[in-house]
Amino acid sequence: MNPCDEYVVKTLRYLDNDLKGQELEDFRSHMESCAHCRAHLEAENALSETLHRFRPLYSAPDALRDRVSATVVQQSSRNTTRGSLYDRVSRILSVSGALERLLSWRILVPVALAIGLCVALVPNIVHHVQAASYVETAVAMHRKFISGDLPSGLQSNSPQAVTTWFAGKVPFDFRLPVESSAGSNPAYKMTGATLVSYKGSPAALVTYEAPKDKVSLLVVSSQSALVAGGDEVTGGRMTFHYRTESDFRVVTWTSDGLSYALVSSASGPPQASCLVCHQNMADRRDFKAEQ
Amino acid sequence: MRLGSDNNKAGQRFDLNQYLDGLYGYAMVLSRNSAEAEDLVQETCLRALRGMDGLRDEDGAKSWVFTILRNIWLNQLRQGRAAPEMVELDSDGKGANEPADAAQDPHADYVTKIEREQVWLAIQKLPVEYREIIILREYEDLSYQEIAAVLGCPLGTVMSRLARARSRLRDALQNIFSAEVSFQRAGKLRSKEEGTLNEPL
Repeated sequence: MNPCDEYVVKTLRYLDNDLKGQELEDFRSHMESCAHCRAHLEAENALSETLHRFRPLYSAPDALRDRVSATVVQQSSRNTTRGSLYDRVSRILSVSGALERLLSWRILVPVALAIGLCVALVPNIVHHVQAASYVETAVAMHRKFISGDLPSGLQSNSPQAVTTWFAGKVPFDFRLPVESSAGSNPAYKMTGATLVSYKGSPAALVTYEAPKDKVSLLVVSSQSALVAGGDEVTGGRMTFHYRTESDFRVVTWTSDGLSYALVSSASGPPQASCLVCHQNMADRRDFKAEQ
Repeated sequence: MRLGSDNNKAGQRFDLNQYLDGLYGYAMVLSRNSAEAEDLVQETCLRALRGMDGLRDEDGAKSWVFTILRNIWLNQLRQGRAAPEMVELDSDGKGANEPADAAQDPHADYVTKIEREQVWLAIQKLPVEYREIIILREYEDLSYQEIAAVLGCPLGTVMSRLARARSRLRDALQNIFSAEVSFQRAGKLRSKEEGTLNEPL
């Protein structure tokens, strides 16, 4: 390897004022003694000046600005319509109420009972089937994770980088459940993210590792994955569903339109997976792993 | 053109208009087709508008919208929906911006126009992975970290790819600024003799 190779990238960092301290001193020292690298530095600087002289390279055409403005207006009015839609539905319902008074209670009571039974039972069955499917998918993805068979994605321990990476890749607004990177020595470290498939649509899988355990988090839209079943535990405004599935511990919950399924090894402590989110929070002692 | 719902603090400050030139430039270097670039930008704005409620950090807004645009473009490529690459090499500089404050000297104006077109052509002739990293770093001023997030690759890859892209571009533009380099080299060598290689050139 040419000893000057390492200065190729350092030259760019130097031009960006990114070199500091000893690194900067070493760079200057090398430039003093190496005519080749000095010439390279000058050429890079000249290139930067040439490129910057013609900034911006493009400007958006007026027609595009008009199109985007129209999109903004359209989208804003759609948001506004949500409120008025509620009013319209309310008005329709009030008309229905007037019709009801015209009908006999002898007809209405049996019909209402039948509808009530359907509402109470059928959705519940569907709900649990969908929930089971979601949990099974989360466990299947976790198996792939621990066996190293996941598709390659992003390797990062940065929640910001992971959130940015999923933008536009998944058909929902991806959010991590909590910011979990604040601790200086977290028990569970985020290792990366990858795209997986759930019901034929892209879904987000975030992975974490501890010295003796691996945890994965499957995130999908709550419209496609309902959460139910298992042992229910209410915390704050959310309900968590705990269960053991195929030797794995699974915690599911929904929040702000997203469904989360956190999968960890069942041989680990019962609340271990909770530490992924709570390790840096004030209540972490409640989830302290059993020794 | 300020986007965002009233109850979203990041959205209240998130002015998409400030990114339109940059998004259009990025879309142009990816697609090399103005019609497709416009569609990409519009779709990006629509998705950003829908997803901005989840945008917690205003500082990350720029790289976020660029990531959205790139993902839309990649999805279109995968689905075969992207138009075939047709480089619009019009001689009147339509692809590149005309300077807002054109020089008064007609000859200087002409030289600037020619150089601008040559820079634009040289960039457009690079492979797409080099084109996009040049535009993100040199024209949009994204940090290496932000570029890594947009491209979904490690920081080291960003730096080495940028170095290779610049090398290719420098070769292509050699004729344009060889005179500048000679001039600057003389100046820098003089500085070196005075031992003043302390600040970035």
